[in-house]
Amino acid sequence: MTAATEPRARHGRTGRRAGRAWRGYLYVLPAAAVYLAFAVLPALHTAYLSLFEWDGVTLGEWAGLRNYREVFADPALRGAVVNALVLVVFFALLPILAGLVMTGLLCLPRSSIGGAGSRGRGRGLGVYRLLFMLPQVVPLVAVGVTWRWLYGEDGLINETLGGIGLGGWARAWLGDFDWALVAVGLVGTWVLSGLCMMLFLAGVHKIDPQLYEAARLDGAGPVREFVSVTLPQLRGELAVALTVTTVAALASFDIVYVTTGGGPGEETTVPGLLVYKLAFSDGKVGLASALGVVLSLLILVLVYVINRLSRTERT
Amino acid sequence: MAARTRLPVFLALLTVLVTACGALTPGTAADPDRPRTVPSQTAVPREDITLSLTFADAPALVDALAAAFHKRYPRITIEPRYTQFADYVQSIKLTMASDTAPDLAQFAVGMDDIAARGDILDLGPYRDAYGWRKKFPAAGLDQLTGSGERAAEGDHLYGVPAGLSMTGIYYNKELARKAGLSRPPRTLAEFDRQLAAVKKAGMTPLGVGALDSGGLHLWAALLNNAMEPEKYRAWVKGAKGATIETEEALAATAKLVEWSRKGYVGEAAGGTTQNDSTGAFVRGRSVFLVNGNWAAGQLSESMGKKAGFFLMPAARQGARAVSSGFSVSYAISSRTRHPRAAGAFLDFLASKEAQKIVAANGFLPVDEKAAPTPDGVLGEVARAHRRVTDDDGMNHFPDFTAPGMLDPLRAGVQKLLAGRTTPKGYLASLQDVWDERYGSGR
Repeated sequence: MTAATEPRARHGRTGRRAGRAWRGYLYVLPAAAVYLAFAVLPALHTAYLSLFEWDGVTLGEWAGLRNYREVFADPALRGAVVNALVLVVFFALLPILAGLVMTGLLCLPRSSIGGAGSRGRGRGLGVYRLLFMLPQVVPLVAVGVTWRWLYGEDGLINETLGGIGLGGWARAWLGDFDWALVAVGLVGTWVLSGLCMMLFLAGVHKIDPQLYEAARLDGAGPVREFVSVTLPQLRGELAVALTVTTVAALASFDIVYVTTGGGPGEETTVPGLLVYKLAFSDGKVGLASALGVVLSLLILVLVYVINRLSRTERT
Repeated sequence: MAARTRLPVFLALLTVLVTACGALTPGTAADPDRPRTVPSQTAVPREDITLSLTFADAPALVDALAAAFHKRYPRITIEPRYTQFADYVQSIKLTMASDTAPDLAQFAVGMDDIAARGDILDLGPYRDAYGWRKKFPAAGLDQLTGSGERAAEGDHLYGVPAGLSMTGIYYNKELARKAGLSRPPRTLAEFDRQLAAVKKAGMTPLGVGALDSGGLHLWAALLNNAMEPEKYRAWVKGAKGATIETEEALAATAKLVEWSRKGYVGEAAGGTTQNDSTGAFVRGRSVFLVNGNWAAGQLSESMGKKAGFFLMPAARQGARAVSSGFSVSYAISSRTRHPRAAGAFLDFLASKEAQKIVAANGFLPVDEKAAPTPDGVLGEVARAHRRVTDDDGMNHFPDFTAPGMLDPLRAGVQKLLAGRTTPKGYLASLQDVWDERYGSGR
């Protein structure tokens, strides 16, 4: 809008001014129309549906805020939200940590793949990046099925444990009440670590080499360099990574659906899964919508907090 | 200025949206003008007719039935439309409520709601006109009968079975011999001793795929022999005042917990799918396996004569043979323009020709005499099935109680196996779902 409003002060003819002001909207229109039709309207419709008791077919019945009361009162629904918050650790914190460590190693001044003076550009880096990006490319359903086998009674993980003399630790990981959520979470860590690494590597490319030079002149070692130069310069990428992965954790559905279906018991049930089950299996579209709205609000709040934090740090 | 114009525009847009939504109370009421029941005449009109059939089970079976039917009625063509089972169950309500609903549909959980809305026809008149009571086994028709509101009341027929399914216990004859077992158990106590003997011999007794539906099959098998079938069926069909919180159900559930505690159920059950538990059984990882007749073909192929089958034994020898099962059955849409042609197809399902096709495709035929009893484990399944039909012992699967029952059953058995809930707590959680659907008239 600013581009359209600035020159109009010089012209001073009202008709033309108004025309210019509206032209900006015209440019936005196609994108706005698509966004409105496929994102805003469905969201509003969902919020509207959450005020009904509706089975998806027959005439709905006005329920007011009853569905919301149930969302907050039902321990099963609350438990699902808690599970999703636990998943944040595995989907967001661990991948970011892993991504940072990998980035740090790849950008070591004298590392064989990093190469001196060519942070994150050295030989072999392409292969490395491809390998860690691969989990992002494979469809999540395929990822889930593969991991279900890996975690299975005769799966690779138990075989490995047996092989190194830890056979006593072997178990059906996805069926274990204490370990299922961790097992599912680690699948997320595996999927998202590569994404974080890619983001950080891209960020490292933008850092001014002079900063590193200055640090080295001041006698900083590789660790100090990473902490004092790389990390602060990656703040923007960190915020993006944290936002994307947190949303992935809270809105997770596919990995859980394919690996455990929410079990054992309700140990790995997450809100996304419940929305699906309530709407399509149980015929409680209103309650599912209410849960969806609450989940969206929770995500919005968290994303806002993340953005807010990264912004205050910058000033 | 821009900010001042933007707000009213936004408000106006929002108002339009909200009013647009307001006109849309979700869903539609049933159309009172649509027929609720099939006509009483059965004569098929002489014209070229195409019937669409939506289904989820056994595409090969449906194709073969459609082809055979077309041969008998050259002017009627059946057009099968396949949907994967999980998606089918989710979408069938909407499919049947749409104006482009198919003429015929495979019956599934939640069909009561569809019948209540008047989207499928009551087949009562055809039952009399075609004499279906004589052509189909009583249990097969019973499971498809209800009032359209409650399955427990009324005499409306909403579907006709083609092939039947049933659960039971497979066993590895070779491994069983190794554990010193010489024959399938005849009483629950004998089975208990056999499980103990297998455990003592260092093998996993019972393979259960409790990650998905295997756990509830085991629980239902124990329950079938503990609870009076009529009482159980009243519960599944939502009869007023029915409850699962009974002494018998409690004993059956306690048995399941006992088997798990004693290590008779494989430790990995909660993390194993039905398919994977069957695969493990084939590889000799368990001596017994809880599964249904649908696995018989696969087991017969991969294990040959090593595989055997028996029903979960009752407390007393020679007691009524009871098991869980349902049918691949079809209903007629109330939007069809050809109810009589659709009726002819349903009647065709009872014919010898159709039953041979059913048996050839691995389902249990409604009429056992239609096809010769096969050899091996397939034959053992067929003979066990005959005992159950003769004793009128076919119970619904427990998840037929309500569309929302599958999850508490699956999660509940997982908790029982892991000792995370008590039998009492488990039964109460099931009854809660029941009460929510049928009202607690107790």
